Amino acid sequence: MGKLIIFGFFSLMAILSGIGIITLKNPVYVVVALLSSLIAVAGIFFTAGAELVGALQLLIYAVAIAIFYIIVISAVPWQKAKKSETHHRFEGLISLPVVLLLYIEMIVVFLLGVKASPKGEIAKFIEKIGNAEVVGAILFSKYFLAFEVVSLVLLVGMIGAVLIGRKESQTYEDDTT
Amino acid sequence: MHSFWVDLLVAIIKILVILGIALGIGAFLTWVERKVAAHIQRRPGPMVVGWHGLLQPLADGVKLLTKEDLFPRYGDKFLYHLAIILALVPATLVFSVVPFGPEFEIFGYKVKPILSDVNVGLLLVFALGSMAVYAVALAGWASNSKYPLIASMRKAGVLVSYEVVITFAVMGPIILAGTLSTYEIVEKQIEQKLWYIWLQPIAFVVYMFAALAEMGRVPFDVQEAEAELVTGFTVEYGGMKFGLFPLVEWYIEGLTLSAIAVVLFFGGWSPINIPFVGFVDPLFFLGPLSPFVWFILKTTALFLFILWLHWTLPRYRIDQITQNAWKIMLPLTLFNIVITAVLAPIVWR
Repeated sequence: MGKLIIFGFFSLMAILSGIGIITLKNPVYVVVALLSSLIAVAGIFFTAGAELVGALQLLIYAVAIAIFYIIVISAVPWQKAKKSETHHRFEGLISLPVVLLLYIEMIVVFLLGVKASPKGEIAKFIEKIGNAEVVGAILFSKYFLAFEVVSLVLLVGMIGAVLIGRKESQTYEDDTT
Repeated sequence: MHSFWVDLLVAIIKILVILGIALGIGAFLTWVERKVAAHIQRRPGPMVVGWHGLLQPLADGVKLLTKEDLFPRYGDKFLYHLAIILALVPATLVFSVVPFGPEFEIFGYKVKPILSDVNVGLLLVFALGSMAVYAVALAGWASNSKYPLIASMRKAGVLVSYEVVITFAVMGPIILAGTLSTYEIVEKQIEQKLWYIWLQPIAFVVYMFAALAEMGRVPFDVQEAEAELVTGFTVEYGGMKFGLFPLVEWYIEGLTLSAIAVVLFFGGWSPINIPFVGFVDPLFFLGPLSPFVWFILKTTALFLFILWLHWTLPRYRIDQITQNAWKIMLPLTLFNIVITAVLAPIVWR
């Protein structure tokens, strides 16, 4: 009962702040709404007993990623931040079908996952050997290839970032001389 | 059903005790800090209010409460107040995973002196600890003033760099203990008869650097920088609202980070350790209270060490701070992790 109330509270908070993200005008408010929805999702993870995922959600999304939005946006002057003319309405309209397709895919995958999930088996594992251990065991056995490929993608991204950064510093030097 | 209400009651008592510690001791620590600072600089410090100025925090509180409440023009009222909440709540929440002592029995119920023994406790500590950056960033932005904005940018830069470093630094003890739960890490240290500081001195030094940076203490107090930024992001706050920021940053975070350091490196509530041999307990006459006293003693000692540094050292420049983090601290911790990961299985398995 208590679990259901807490779950409802966090879900309501996640949905409300999700609405806030797309309706609020001031970009800093948007980021604060995003932060609140991320924290609410972490709360849902905690009520579901997925402590590791919840903690990672807090550590990576709510702190590491959202802070960069705050840093960038809070450098924008106060009056300019409120202008809504920069919204790309036309592009938003074009991208709607693609986004819709993505959402349908997500729902399909979710339904397939619900059908395929072994009922309560994972929960038993978690009780026996702990949350972080289960995730580690699954990552390094069943999904080992995918895990390594993802790390390769991250490496590519890092190299790309370094390359872009170097190029800019060169042109900067050229301009000043 | 019966046990549910008992659990609820126990949880509420724990929450009240922790809040009492966090806010009560937090306020009292202002007096401790002023006394320590004074004696380091060879002056008496607060002497007038109460015996040796013991009632000074109370007087300060009354003064802060009765001050005029100013609000900067064109500031953002909602975010301005949200920043205070965002500073206070996560910092206090960290206490929920700090274990104060071993499990004990009272009226036939087993009680762990830790609010929630989640098995990812350490991750939560760092997730909640770094939430402080939002308070600083929003306070700086909502004040609509130059100094707070510069200060909040500096603090965000420092926090982002040292958050990475501190997470890598605690990997060493985690590998040795094989668990992320704060309670179990202490139990493992008692079981292995070893404080992890003996094997992880590098991790401890790096942890202390990062902890100082996170709570904004000297040598890393660029966000306050009284000489250049006139107390940084709190410039536009007045009265008790101003008082809350140092309370949270310096005292509550200082206490939690010292307590976590004690848990990770000094064996939590265990008495003095001789590596691989056992524990010596000069406080044995306290009986079942001795573990709690040890935990409090160690945390206090670390906190006083931080105060000592604060009132002794000069301040780093912001670029030196971030350079330290990325070029010295991070490689050191990576080196430490590799060594630990290679050695730990040889020693214990």
